[in-house]
Amino acid sequence: MINKNQALRILNSGLTTGADYAEIYIEEKDTFSVTVENGKVENSGIRHSYGAGIRLLNKLQSVYGYTNEVNEKSLTKLIQNLSASFKDKQSLTLEKLVTKKAKNLSKVEQSFASTNDQQIIDYLKTGEKVMREYDKRIVKTEVSFSYSVAKVQIVSTKGINHLDYKERGRCGFMCVAADQGKIETGFEGPGASAGFGYFLNNVDVKAVAKEVASKTIMTLEAKECPSGKMPVVIGKGFGGTLFHEACGHPLEASAVSKNLSVFSGKIGQQIASPILSAVDDGTIPNEWGSNNIDDEGNKTEKTLLIENGILKDYLIDDFNGRRMGRKGNGACRRQSYKYEPTSRMSNTYICAGKSTPEEIIAATKFGLYAKSLEGGQVNPVTGEFNFGCSEAYLIRDGKICEPVRGASVIGTGQDILLKIDMIGNDLELAQGMCGAGSGFIPVDVGQPTIRVSEMTVGGNGGEIK
Amino acid sequence: MKLNEKKFFALAKENGFESADLASHESNSLSISIFHGEIDSFTNNNSYELVARGIYKGKMGSISVDYVDKNSPEFLVKEIKRAASVTESDDPVFIFKGSEKYHKKNVGKNTDFSENIQEKVGILLEIEKKLLAFDKRINEVVTVGFESSSRAFKKTNSYGLKLSQKKNSYTYFAEVTAKDGEEIRTGYDVFASFDENEFNIDTFVEKVAKDALDKLGSIQCKSKKYPVVLNPDCVATLVNFLIGWLDAEEIQKHTSLLEGKLGQQVFSKKLTVIENPLEKNLFFRYFDDEGVATNKKYLFKNGVVSTYLYTLQTAAKDKAEPTGNGYGSGAKAKADVGYVIVKGGKKSEEEMLSTIKEGVYITELSGLHSGMNPHSGNFSLQCAGFMIRDGKKAEPLSLITVADNLVNVFKNIKCIANNNKLVLSNQMSCPSIFVGKLPISGK
Repeated sequence: MINKNQALRILNSGLTTGADYAEIYIEEKDTFSVTVENGKVENSGIRHSYGAGIRLLNKLQSVYGYTNEVNEKSLTKLIQNLSASFKDKQSLTLEKLVTKKAKNLSKVEQSFASTNDQQIIDYLKTGEKVMREYDKRIVKTEVSFSYSVAKVQIVSTKGINHLDYKERGRCGFMCVAADQGKIETGFEGPGASAGFGYFLNNVDVKAVAKEVASKTIMTLEAKECPSGKMPVVIGKGFGGTLFHEACGHPLEASAVSKNLSVFSGKIGQQIASPILSAVDDGTIPNEWGSNNIDDEGNKTEKTLLIENGILKDYLIDDFNGRRMGRKGNGACRRQSYKYEPTSRMSNTYICAGKSTPEEIIAATKFGLYAKSLEGGQVNPVTGEFNFGCSEAYLIRDGKICEPVRGASVIGTGQDILLKIDMIGNDLELAQGMCGAGSGFIPVDVGQPTIRVSEMTVGGNGGEIK
Repeated sequence: MKLNEKKFFALAKENGFESADLASHESNSLSISIFHGEIDSFTNNNSYELVARGIYKGKMGSISVDYVDKNSPEFLVKEIKRAASVTESDDPVFIFKGSEKYHKKNVGKNTDFSENIQEKVGILLEIEKKLLAFDKRINEVVTVGFESSSRAFKKTNSYGLKLSQKKNSYTYFAEVTAKDGEEIRTGYDVFASFDENEFNIDTFVEKVAKDALDKLGSIQCKSKKYPVVLNPDCVATLVNFLIGWLDAEEIQKHTSLLEGKLGQQVFSKKLTVIENPLEKNLFFRYFDDEGVATNKKYLFKNGVVSTYLYTLQTAAKDKAEPTGNGYGSGAKAKADVGYVIVKGGKKSEEEMLSTIKEGVYITELSGLHSGMNPHSGNFSLQCAGFMIRDGKKAEPLSLITVADNLVNVFKNIKCIANNNKLVLSNQMSCPSIFVGKLPISGK
C-alpha cells in the first residue's frame, strides 16, 4: 500500500497530458485452497498476490496498465507511460486526499486469517464421507474449500483514498457416479463474503453432501430428456442463471452505453411480463456477490432493474456512464488488479411473486421442471442464451414425474422475459462465478420458482411422448 | 526484482526438502482497441508469476506469487512446508531430473512494439472504416483491436535442470453487428501469429463482415434427425473432449470412457489425431510444465487409441514413461496437450457437402460448460449454422440444439474434408467432418 502523499504525487504526475481522471487500485490478497478426494487431502494451494493497476481516462478514452512493483518509483513510471497516450493540456490538479475506510457489510466471524488449515480440512472430511458412502455407484468424490483475504486501496482524483478489507470463502462438493457405462457428475458450491464462522454456523456440510450425492444418483438413473417446445418451470436459487444470462448481462453499461444491447434505450418500456420485478443488490450482508465498495470506490447499491415488467435502470460504472450521461451506481468490478474494471452484476435476482411452487406445478399440464441449472451463456447483442439443467423432471398432468438428464434450454432474453407467466413466493439465492470483460468475479444469482410458458428444450431423448 | 534462486534452493535443502523447483512466467503485452474512430482502450501490462514447489517429508507443497522481494526465499520455503504438511495423498511425487534430449528451437521474433503504436492505430482505423464500408447492413463495429505480447517461461530445479523458452505473438480481433430490419447478428474473427507479415487487412475484414452478414435471415429448422457436417471450429471443440479421456489419471480413477481401450478401435477408421508440440508455430513447446521433453505422437490413429497422456505421477503408478503432457502450475500436474492436428481427408468441403441432399452444417456450438457431460460424452448444445440443400450451404440457422454422444459422433464419421484450418482457441488444426445423422431440435 502507499501513503497519501505518495498517492498525490503519483496521480498528479499522470495528469499533465490531459487525463480528466486517474485512479490507482492496489490489492494484496492471500488465497488458500484445499481438496479432499476419496477421504484424503489430495492437494492444497497457496497464493500470495500483490500488485497495482492504474487507470487514466480522458473523455471517452481509457488507458490501463498494471505492475507487481508497488512503490512510488514504479507507479510513477507506469502512470507516465500511460499518460503518454494523451496529447492534451493539463485540465486537472489534485490538491488533497481524504482517507475513508469502507464499512464492512459482512460480519466476519472467525477470520480465515486466524483459522487453522486443519479445521477446514476436518470440516470438509465430514461432508466428503457422507457423499462417498451414499451409494456404491459413487466412484469419485472431491470436496474442496478455498478462501481469500484481501486488502484493497483505491485512490483516485475524486479525492478519496479508500481502504477496504474483504474475506470470501467457498466450498465445492463434486461427485462422479458410474454404472454400466453411464457416468454422471453432480456439484454444489455454497459460498459467502464472510469468515469461516459463517460456514460452521450456516452451511451444513453433511446435508449439502447428501443432496449432491442423491442428485447425481438420480441423474444416473434418469432417462434422456426429450426435445421440443414446451412450458418450462425453473426451480428457485440457481434457476436465476436464466435471468443472469438473458437479462443481467445485456443490462450492463459496457454493452448498453455503446448501443450494443437489446435493452439499450429502453428505460421506461415494458421488457418483461408485468408480474416480474428484478433487482441487483451488492449490499446484502455476507452474500457471496456483495462488496463494501465497488472497484472504483463507489458505494455498492441495491438497484431496481425491472419493476412490474418495466425497465427501470442499468448496471453502470463511471467510465461507460460517460456515454450515457450517468454516474456509476456501484456496479464497477474486476477480478484483480490485472483487469480494467467495468460494469458487472453482484447479487442479481427475480423478486418473489405470489404463487406457491406447488400451485405452479399443478397448473402445468405437460412440461419440463428444471429444478436446478448449470451455467449458461449469452450473446448480449442478440440476446440469445442457453443453459443446461443439472436436475430436471418431466411434469405430466400437474405432477412432477420421471427425472430426465441431458436437458438444455435455449431462447432469446427479450422473448423469454415476456413469457414468464407464474412467479413463486420461494425466493432463494445461489453462488457462482461469472466470467466477462473484467475477469471472473463472485456473483449470486437468484429467483423463486418461475414458469416460462414456452421454451425450446434440447435433449437426447427424441420427440416428446 | 529477481528472486535469489540460489538462496531459495539452499534454504529448501536446509529445511529438509528432498528437492525443489521454480517455474516463472514473465510477460509484456500491449493492447489497443478502437471504437467510433477513437482509441477506446489502451493497456500496457508487465506481469510476473512464480510457482515454487518442494517435496517435504514425501509430500509435494506449492505456492504461487506474483511478486518477489528480498524476503521471498524464506517466505516460499515456509509456505511450501505449510502446504506439504496438510497433504495426505499417498501418490508418489517427483521433481524431474531432466529428459535425455530436448528439441529446443527458436520461434518468434523480437520486436519493440512501443515504437509503432501510431502505425497500429492507423491499421485499426482502416479496418473499422473498411468494415463499415463492406456492406450497408454492417451497422456497428463493436470493437477492433490489436495486441502484441512477449512471454518468457523458465524452469529451474535443485537437480540443476535449467530450461527456458521465449515466445511472442501479434493478435488482431474485430467484432461487428449486421442489421436487417429488426434482426441483428454479430460477426467476429481473430488473427494471431508470431509473424505480423502474415496479416492481410482485406481478408480479415471480409471474414469478420461475412461472419455477421451470412447469419442474417436465420431461422429454426424443423426438429428431426439430419445428416450433420461440423466445421473445423466445432470439430476442435469436440475433439478436445476425446483428448480429455486420454488423461491417465482419469483412467486410473475409472472415470474415463477409454479405460482399457488402449490399442483398441473406438472411433471411425477415418479419425487420426496427432499431437505435435514441436511444430514451429504459436503453440511451440519443447518441454512440459514438469520439465519433461515433449514429442510428436499419435493420440488416435485410424480410430485406435494410441496412447494415454502421462504426467510424472500417473506414469509412475502405471510403471510407464511420462509422455511430456504434464501441465499446470500447482502441486499436481494435470495431463494436457500442446498443438494438435486432426488429419484431413481427400475430398474438398464442397465435394463432401455435394453428397448431402438435406442436412445441417454447424458453425457454432455453445453452452459447453453445462450442455456437455465430459465424463459420459452425452451432450445437448445450442448451435447455429446453415441448412444444406441439394449439396450446398443454404439458409442460416440459429437457436437450434444438437444432442448425441461423442463416441457415437466420432464412430459414425462419413467423410473428412481436406480443409484443415488453425483453430486458435483450441490450439488445433482441424478439417470439417461429416458425422452422419444427429438429432436437431428447432421448431
